[in-house]
Parts: sequence; structure tokens; C-alpha cells
Amino acid sequence: MGTAKAALEWHGSTLLRHVTGVVQRAVDGPVFVVRAPGQELPELDREIIVCDDPREGMGPMQGLAVGLRAAAEHAARPDVAFVCSTDLPFLHTAFVRAVLAGFGSDPGAEPEVDAVLPIVRGFRQPLTAGYRTALAPLVEELLGKGQLRPAHLLAECRVRVLDEDALLADRALAAVDPELEAVVNVNEPADYEAARRRPEPEVIVERYGVLATRGGGRGPRVVRAATIGHAADLVGLAFDGHILAAVNGDQIRSDGTLPLQAGDTVAFISADAGG
Amino acid sequence: MHGYFGRALVVDVTDGSTTALPLGEDVLRAHLGGAGLGAWLTTELAPPGVDPLAPENPLSFVFSPLVGTPLTTSAKFAVVAKSPLTGLLTDALASSHFAIAGKFTGYDALVITGRAERPTHVFITDEDVTLTDASGEWGMSAADAEAAVRERSGRRWRVAAIGPAGEAEVRYATISHDGRHAGRGGLGAVLGSKNVKSVAVSGRKRVTLADKDGVLALAKDLRQRSFGPATEKYRELGTLANLLAFNAISTLPTRNFQTATFEGAALLSTEELASSRSVAKNSCASCSIGCEHIYAGKDGKKSRVEYENVFALGPLCGVSDADDVLAASARCDELGLDTISAGGTIAWAMECAERGLIDAPWLRFGDGPALLRALDEIGSRTGLGALLAEGSRRAAEQVGQGSAGFAAHVKGMEMPGYEPRTLQSMALGLAVNARGADHNRSGAYEADLSGDRDRLAGTADHVRAAIATEDRAAVIDSMILCKFLRGVFTDPYVEWADLLSRVTGWDITGTELQETARRIVLAKRAFNLREGWTPDDDWLPDRFLDTPLTLPSGRTATLPAARLRDMIDTYYEERRLDAQGRPLLVATGTETTP
Repeated sequence: MGTAKAALEWHGSTLLRHVTGVVQRAVDGPVFVVRAPGQELPELDREIIVCDDPREGMGPMQGLAVGLRAAAEHAARPDVAFVCSTDLPFLHTAFVRAVLAGFGSDPGAEPEVDAVLPIVRGFRQPLTAGYRTALAPLVEELLGKGQLRPAHLLAECRVRVLDEDALLADRALAAVDPELEAVVNVNEPADYEAARRRPEPEVIVERYGVLATRGGGRGPRVVRAATIGHAADLVGLAFDGHILAAVNGDQIRSDGTLPLQAGDTVAFISADAGG
Repeated sequence: MHGYFGRALVVDVTDGSTTALPLGEDVLRAHLGGAGLGAWLTTELAPPGVDPLAPENPLSFVFSPLVGTPLTTSAKFAVVAKSPLTGLLTDALASSHFAIAGKFTGYDALVITGRAERPTHVFITDEDVTLTDASGEWGMSAADAEAAVRERSGRRWRVAAIGPAGEAEVRYATISHDGRHAGRGGLGAVLGSKNVKSVAVSGRKRVTLADKDGVLALAKDLRQRSFGPATEKYRELGTLANLLAFNAISTLPTRNFQTATFEGAALLSTEELASSRSVAKNSCASCSIGCEHIYAGKDGKKSRVEYENVFALGPLCGVSDADDVLAASARCDELGLDTISAGGTIAWAMECAERGLIDAPWLRFGDGPALLRALDEIGSRTGLGALLAEGSRRAAEQVGQGSAGFAAHVKGMEMPGYEPRTLQSMALGLAVNARGADHNRSGAYEADLSGDRDRLAGTADHVRAAIATEDRAAVIDSMILCKFLRGVFTDPYVEWADLLSRVTGWDITGTELQETARRIVLAKRAFNLREGWTPDDDWLPDRFLDTPLTLPSGRTATLPAARLRDMIDTYYEERRLDAQGRPLLVATGTETTP
């Protein structure tokens, strides 16, 4: 690419901020970023936990080992983790949820598999996959033997494969990402430029209270915006701390760089909501 | 002494006798006024274990050092007593000229005790106390009784009165003045149990201010700040602006907390009603914010509309017809009912009726006329109202059959319009607050809605945030200022200490005021402990712990009992309580409780 993928501009934010934001929206527990020794990262949401990879040049398996161990120690539900690379501009929360659902729907039950591996357009996708955090020692053992490819790991554990039919059986995913573009990564500048030229996702904006009556107008409005901050701009609101947002009725957000996805509904509310 | 008179007046309505109770500077500085001083007075004057509806239960109208100053929103008073709804301490605040006229009688608090032989008005001036026959007003609404007293006795009188629900000792009856209500906890029933229809005040006494010019300068500055963005919501739309926002974030309790979104929310929104039914905007006495939004229903009856009364009589009961909800709100005002407890108790009954647990086939979610019928029966304690007038906790105890699990109350007080599963700082605040389920003594929802933490989780950080809001409320309710001003203060304790220092002449610091906040919170808890509170009272109903909510995002909001337990234990630890939630050592002014 000629530049670090993590820092690539993405609709006013960065690719890493975008990908971590998507994962953050999809999971209940914390999100970890594993960085190479000395690697500088762009600004991230304050909830993101950054882990240092102690060894350079060991490939994704080294990052996987560090990330799984950190997840096992910190996460609220430490048994499984979604693992992905940073170069996935179209990663979608529905995809993340569909992969994690491959471990089973009962969060208290012992998973029947160690990994959930999507296969899309004939390619295995180990860097948009789910892993049990208990695999961390095995990954480290394989690294010690010089086995640096995820395929080595997958050969050693119980894997549930999700092919395209299986993935699209998830109705939420099929509705928002029927082409499974969540796994599309950008390896070349041309890939990035092509991805960047695509229109921003179409989202619905709702404004409430004085945000609606203060010249903004009532009722839903459809805009194209990749972040909360941009959506606010488009409806004439300054996302400046006096206004907060909730995406699809979920967490209250004050960070304008939180990524939006096609089909999202963004509710802007006054920061003084409440009695 | 500046800012205070240093005394309370105790009126025994049994025989009309009065006693002046000295209030030393140590007591006043430690408890300030309002809710804080009321907690001290009730601890001092209420016999331990007293029946809330017995003559011996004192009911106090408590003023504050700021009343009568030009500080915006300072014309407030607290009514404080042991509650017939919770059996614990309750304080309810209201804003009106009653506060100013009451303080001008020359007392920092007016305490009513005893029981009159017949319906009675109590007239209090700076010179004497007179009891007069109220038989002619018995049965009237509070507003009509107030008007009748002023018509007969003169407009200089400011009159706090009860409606028919207070006379019938409905356990969530209100005390009202000038359309403002001391709403929660059934204080109207306490006054009704004393056969007191109204308390009328008029006086000419004035307190001195330690630094008059300083107070004037602060008042001017505060007034200017009250016009800023921090109060815009209240000025422009009022608290009802919360309704659609809460609906959007799955925080709008609906059909007795079975869901947290309401399909009819838009029909009840301020955005809708303001354009079709708004008839006036008003301000409380001495207030520059002007948050009162008056709407009229199709019957022409006007009602001051807040988020809480619309939530409780609308979504909570499944009613989406705006005219029905406005009529129900007006009916609560006429009867003198707390809208939150009335709506909460009726919503519980609607669910009971739909499950076949009570014989009331006419009572169904979404049925506006049935809601109005239920209110009337409660106000008169007739039919189903005899049961519902007791509040949801007692009613569920009578009905049994598992109905207690979905009676949405804490300590007997029905829950306000904040869904605890999706606001988990608030869940803790609701569970542990001394008054019961309450959004004014614990504003922990602010922490959940700040965007600073995961509102679907409950951690030690959430607990600390809840404690901070509880402490701020303790001070602001004791000074007293309106909470709608809270957003204009950038360094609240320091700024509040400055206000108090200039009024009283005391060299109060922000740090001292933070200690005062903690003292007041613990004093309430200590009173409750004396009156039979147990650790089981710091808890939430099963519904919130057993039943998850699904958000539009697909995520599920759960509040497992173990998480709530952890949060409560952390609260006890942070508050320096023992493992059972008991204050280790609370100086309430004259005694030390366990």
C-alpha cells in the first residue's frame, strides 16, 4: 500500500477507527487492537484496549496469540472472540454477529467448536473468523514450532465452516450484505481508491426535542453518512458535546467518528436528556 | 443568623397549640434546609415506629436559606414526613409562592402534627395560628379549596391543600399549591389523616442576608445563565421532550415495564402536542426558566404536562390517545394523586386483569376510559379503587399469585419513567435510594445518558456515578434550587458553597458541602433503618432481573440479580455502610444511630 493500512483515511476517520468501531458495535465485550512493536496507531475510541505484540515479523498468528490471551483476561464473555484484520472497509456488524453465532446461541454453554471459519467466494477467511480464547496456548505452541499460518491452527482444532449459504441463512446479514462484502480487504492502492469512491452508507436520521424544533425539522431524514459526525452535519447539527447519538437504539455515543452502516437509524438527542 | 430564623413552628391541630422549636446554627449548617433539614426534623419529632397516618406523625413544610432571595428558582419548599406508601422517610418538593409566604411567617419550617376533630384549615402568620372549619371545602379539589380559602380570607394567603384523594388517605395522595404538587410518597394522605384540608400562610418577617450585594450579583449572573443552552429543553418543550428520545433508546417503560418502546409514543410527544394542544407556558415563582407547558384536552381541561405524568398515564398503561392521557393527568390533579404512582399501580392492575388475577375485565392496557374510571375509583376508594389506593406493593400482597414480581416499585414507591435494564446506573440508583424508586433523589440516569459508559452494563464505575448524582441531589434539594438549573453550574459544589456563604455568612467550602451531601443521604438511610428498613428493601422487582429486553440493534439488555447485588454491595462499600447497608455512625444532630 505504501502506507500503514490502519491510518488510511476513511470518510473523515481512519480505516482502523472504522473497523474497530464496527466490531465494537457488534459485540458486548471490549475490543482489542494488537499492534506491532513500535507501531503508531491513529486515534481510537477510548474504550479500545491496545495490546503490544512483543515480536515482529511473525505474521497474523502472533497477533492472534496476543489478542486471544488479552480477550481471555479482560472480556466479559471470554470464551470466544471475533478476530479480523484492519483492512476491511465493508465489515458489517451483522457479519460479526453471524460468525459469533456459529459458536451457538447459549452464551453459558460450552462451545462445540474451537473456531468458526467463513468461506466466501471459495476462499477461507481466517482473518474474519471466530476463535475460542482458550486457543491462545495452542497458537503460541505453533508459533514456537515455526508454524506461522492460521491454516496450521485450524488443522489442530474443531472448526465450524460457514459457507456463503450458511452465512446468508442469517436473515439480518442477508438483508444488509447479500454479496458478503464484509470480507473484502484492500491490499493495493487501487483497491483502497475503489472502496473509497463508493458512496457512503444510506442511513436514517431522527432528531428529538429541541433538536427537531430548533429549525432542524421533525421526522426521519435519509442521508448518506459513514460516521455519526457526518450525519449530524448533514442535518445541520453540530455534534459538539451538547448533542449525543444512539445508533439503532443502542449505546449513547458522544464520539462523532463512530462508523455508520447502511440501514442504521441514528437518533440525535440533547445531552441533557432526562428529567 | 443570616438566611434563617433559627426556629421551626410545631402546630398541633388536635387543640391548636403551638411550639417554637429552636434550630441551632449547627443543625442548620449540617442539614441546610429543605429535604436535609426535613430529614433531621422528622428524625427528631416522629416517634419511632409511628404509623404514618397516626396523629403523632409530624408533617413538615421546610423552607431553605435561599427562599426569599432574588436567586432564580429559589422559591421552593419541601414537605417531609414518614410516608404511608413506603413506611419510610419521604420528601417532596414544590415551587410556588407558598415557599416565600411560608418563610415570611418567621420560621424555617412549619410542622403539622396531631389530628383535628373535624375538617380544618390551618392559618399561620408571623403572629398567630388559627384553625378554621373546612367542612365546606371537604371534597373539593386542592385548586378549588385554595381558591375558596383565598376568596373568603383574602388573596394575601398562600394555600397548600389536599384533594379528595388526600381526604380518603390514598397512599399516594399529593399536597398542592398553585397547580404545583408535592407529589411523591403520599404526603397528602398524611395531611388528610390529620383532618387538615389546607395550610394557609402569610407573613411579613424577613431574614437578613450576610452579603446582600454579593447575593444580588450572583442572582443576576445565575439568571443570565438560566437563559442559556443548559435549560433550553425545559424552556422550549419541557420535560416531555424526553418521551420520543427515550422511546428511541428503549428506555420508555411501556405496559407495566413489559417493553421499553411504545408504538404510540409519537401521538403523545411534545413535538405533536405542542402544535395542537399547547395553550400556555408558565414559570414558577421566582423562576426565570419557565418550564411549565400547559396543554388542554378536547374537554377543555388544562393540565401542566411533564414527561412523568404522560409516561405513567400513557405508555405505562398502553394508552396512546392524547386526549385520554391529558384528561387522566387533569383528573389526577383534581383528585390530588401522584401521577407516577397512580399510573404505576393501574398498569400493574391492568396486567393482573389481563392475566386473570383480579376480577376487572373492564381494565385493559390501552383503554383510556378504563384508566379514567380507575382513577376515579382510587380517588374515592370505591370498587377496585379500594385495593389500588393502597399502592402496587400492598395491592400485590393482597392479590398474590406472583403479582408482586411485576409490581414495579421500590420500597413501595412506584417506578418513574426510566427503564432500569437499559439504564443500569439508574437501576442502582432506584434500588438504593432512601425515598424508594425515584428519579429526583437519584439522577443516575445522567450517567447512563452521558455517553461515557455502557448503559447496558453495571459496574463499580456506574455505582460511583450514581452516588455522585445522589449527593448533588441531596444538596440541591436542601439549599433549595431547581434541578433544571443543574446544567448551568460548571463547578457545582464550589458555586453552591459561594451562594450559601453569601446568604448565611458561613465560610462554607465545596468540600464541606460534599460532606453535607453525604450526611443528608445517610441521615435519610438512618431514619429508615430506625423505622424498619431491611436490606431486602434495596432491591428491584423480579421483572427487571428475570426478563431481558431486546433492543432494535439486536442486542439484549439484561440485569442479572448477581450484577445488581454486586452494584449494591459496591454502593454500600463506597458509602462506608456495613455489609447490610446500615450506616456505621450517623450523627443526625442529636443522636447517633447504629
